[in-house]
Amino acid sequence: MNKTARLLVTLALLGGFGGALWFSLRGAPAQLAATEPAAATALTGLIAVDVEDFFKNPRVVQVLADHRLPVQVTRIGSRDMAARVAPGASPDFFFPSGVVAATQVTEAGRKAGIATASYSPFHTPLVIASWEPIARILVDNGIARPLQPQVYGVDMDKLTQLMLARKRWKDLKHAAAYDVSRSVLVSTTDVRRSNSAAMFLALASSALNGETVSDRDTARRTALRLAELFKRQGYQENYVNGNFEDYVSQGIGKTPLAWIYENQIVGHALAKGGIGGGMVLLYPQPTITNKLVFVATSERAKALGALLSNDAELQGIALQHGFRIADADRFAKAVQPTGLAVETRLTQVVDPPSFELMAEMIDVVTKEMGQ
Amino acid sequence: MRLALRVSLVALLCMALAGCDRPAADTAATPTPPPPPAAPALQVLATTDLRDIEPLQQMVLKATGVNLQFRFGGTMESTEAVLNGQSGADIAWFANAKYLLSDAQGQSRVKLQEKIMLSPIALGLSESAARQLGWDRPERAAKVTWKDIAAAAKAGKLSYALSNPATSNQGFMALLGVVASAAQKTDGLGAADVDRGAIAAFLKGYRLPGDNSTYLSEKFIERQGIDVNAFINYESWLLGLNQSGKLREKLLLVYPHEGVSTADYPLLLLNDARRDDYLKVVAYLKGEAAQTWLARQTLRRPVVPEVAAQVADILPRDAMRIELPFSPDRALADGLIDAYLNEFRRPIASTFVLDTSGSMERDGRQQQLIQALDYIAGVDRSLTGRIARLTNRERLWMQPFSDNPYDLQRFEIPAGAPAARGVQVIEDSEAKQKALAQVRAFAAGLNMRGGTALFDAVLKSLKNMADEKQRNPGYQYSVVAFTDGENNKGRTFEEFRRDYEQLPEDARSIPVFMVLFGDANEKQLRELVKVTGGRLFDARKTPLYGVFKDIRAYQ
Repeated sequence: MNKTARLLVTLALLGGFGGALWFSLRGAPAQLAATEPAAATALTGLIAVDVEDFFKNPRVVQVLADHRLPVQVTRIGSRDMAARVAPGASPDFFFPSGVVAATQVTEAGRKAGIATASYSPFHTPLVIASWEPIARILVDNGIARPLQPQVYGVDMDKLTQLMLARKRWKDLKHAAAYDVSRSVLVSTTDVRRSNSAAMFLALASSALNGETVSDRDTARRTALRLAELFKRQGYQENYVNGNFEDYVSQGIGKTPLAWIYENQIVGHALAKGGIGGGMVLLYPQPTITNKLVFVATSERAKALGALLSNDAELQGIALQHGFRIADADRFAKAVQPTGLAVETRLTQVVDPPSFELMAEMIDVVTKEMGQ
Repeated sequence: MRLALRVSLVALLCMALAGCDRPAADTAATPTPPPPPAAPALQVLATTDLRDIEPLQQMVLKATGVNLQFRFGGTMESTEAVLNGQSGADIAWFANAKYLLSDAQGQSRVKLQEKIMLSPIALGLSESAARQLGWDRPERAAKVTWKDIAAAAKAGKLSYALSNPATSNQGFMALLGVVASAAQKTDGLGAADVDRGAIAAFLKGYRLPGDNSTYLSEKFIERQGIDVNAFINYESWLLGLNQSGKLREKLLLVYPHEGVSTADYPLLLLNDARRDDYLKVVAYLKGEAAQTWLARQTLRRPVVPEVAAQVADILPRDAMRIELPFSPDRALADGLIDAYLNEFRRPIASTFVLDTSGSMERDGRQQQLIQALDYIAGVDRSLTGRIARLTNRERLWMQPFSDNPYDLQRFEIPAGAPAARGVQVIEDSEAKQKALAQVRAFAAGLNMRGGTALFDAVLKSLKNMADEKQRNPGYQYSVVAFTDGENNKGRTFEEFRRDYEQLPEDARSIPVFMVLFGDANEKQLRELVKVTGGRLFDARKTPLYGVFKDIRAYQ
């Protein structure tokens, strides 16, 4: 090595150390974290499948690294999360698929003496993914009404009554396009395991009861009456995407009415740059919204919760995964290029019954399904 | 009680799967050995109907570096193994895992699942038969119901091949289609909804039973236009037959209007430690290359809509194909299978040709034979047992032989009292218990001595069956022949072949299910089933009673 080369190496090394020192004194700006992600310990999180793709997104990984909040997440079932709350052994955060599971986690934290903080960075309404011929039949029978091209509002009271009356598609007026012996039923995932199915139960219980169920007797009675809407479906997919995948790959013959999170079809449309022919959305009237709740159990996780809720870029990425954020116009703009029509302003939204009553209703339905 | 339930569940699970295709004794060739793996191979337990996807092994290795090692298994054993956590496999791949996943324990075994491809069950109808029924017109074909199919079967216009409803998904879901059609509803079906008349009508046309799509396809090719004109199976098998160029006439595919069941081939992660490899394989299998390959080579439908659009030219267009909901109602399934076996099915009439030569005294062979006969005449009320055991109305002749065929001994299982309404599992009557005891007593009294006049005994039994068939055409006839040694008395094989050719067509249409045991001559027995039709079963490595149970699904 000649003299010049040695000098250059020394300068480079010095530059490196000095630079690092300078940067660390300045308080870890973006560039450094990106090149040295090991500098910050990863936050551990147990997450629902709904947000798995979001956390896998390289842009999300980058933003979190930039803020020295990298994460290491494991996907488990939302209902299994509360059991993982344990003093000294809890992950930094939980990100279940809905309020019910989040409340379970918070409750478990309270009992275990672990302080938690909750954030709801994004949300999505529950919708019925359907098909143009099906929507027309429902319109002709006074169950649904067109809101805009490819978007319909469906009267939840009437639909619930129709299903409980065990009407078959071929019993309806003008049903030539779908004159089959299958009952009119909304296909859901397994209510014993899935948050979205629980949301269907919540919404149908409000429809049947005339208002949000608020006492135990009504909860039991209503759930007993509604259990058949799950049981009569026969085998139900027991993982969250099963129902939506069947809708996409098997079509109208398998799932004329698929109960899904809106973000599933919006995310699909954004990823594929469009949707299949004949696909339409039915918005239940009233409808119910699923809030994805981020539960932090550590100080750094609280910072992550705040970041997810407030960072413009992360909120924008959430839109790309189909979620809604507080800014409704931004959501509408994001969806528009896909050709998927959505109802951007939801006026009638009901609250689900309390956590205890929901658990009670799910219990009743579970027992009925086992019979 | 718990055990019985579990066994019954396992058998039930089996129905849900890939036609319960078992590795045939004569096709259990060792798969090509995989190249030396870089990482431990990912063990895949797949049902035998997936044998045609084996070339994927190389494709997956090349694309992902994951070395799949396929093990194709009998569905019943495979499913039981998964349920008990003793499969030794990292992932499982079944045509349909709905029964497995309807069970809490089954669910707990499955860590992740992803559907890979689709194939609906369809009725493949010979074109001439379609014309005769008027179902060749697309607008009519689109409205054909299971009820129409049952009516055509009853009128003698439709005679079909179908794998056993008691052991296979295709068979069971076809019955369920008829039930749904007759009940005018497809969901919330219970055991009381079963219209017994419709089932009986449908089964009038059930001419070619079996338990394995490969076997049924071979037989269908032989017999199309002779005594069968339709085949109910997964669409992929029917399209494959149409492409094979081996059919006398093409099959027109009909998807009954009230619904058919679709196999969705979920890939199931069992061993969580291999999650990363599993995810890589799923990503590859759901990618364009693999989805296109699966569609073009195996004629199964892609689950990825973009690929489905690209291969639309090779798969039938179906504007509307209704899915028949899958009922997890155990009472319905148990009752339907029990009623199928003991009441609705064409009753079995068969002759068991039993080698009682001196060599049977060696190596516990006699005990194995007694055990096997006890098993089919036993009291096992589990579903597995029910498939194997003698069913109501069944006629059975025993044809023991050594130097010569001995006298035939006849047994008959009485008919049961049908349920008043719907279906349910019926307990054995006293008369049935007595008949079963007679069969067991016969087995216990067998004497082993002398030589092996196998061909004389088989020929005599075939003649007996042919005579019976003329008198009572309403039975399903077959000969089950069992030997532990080489033919050394009576006719030679050549003489047998010559005499066999002289038999009337009716006698020659009766299959001979040949059991290879002890020191039997495999080559000669293979020749024999080639001449007589039927199938060779190997009991040299598996217990004899297990082989007898397998044969029952072909009768």
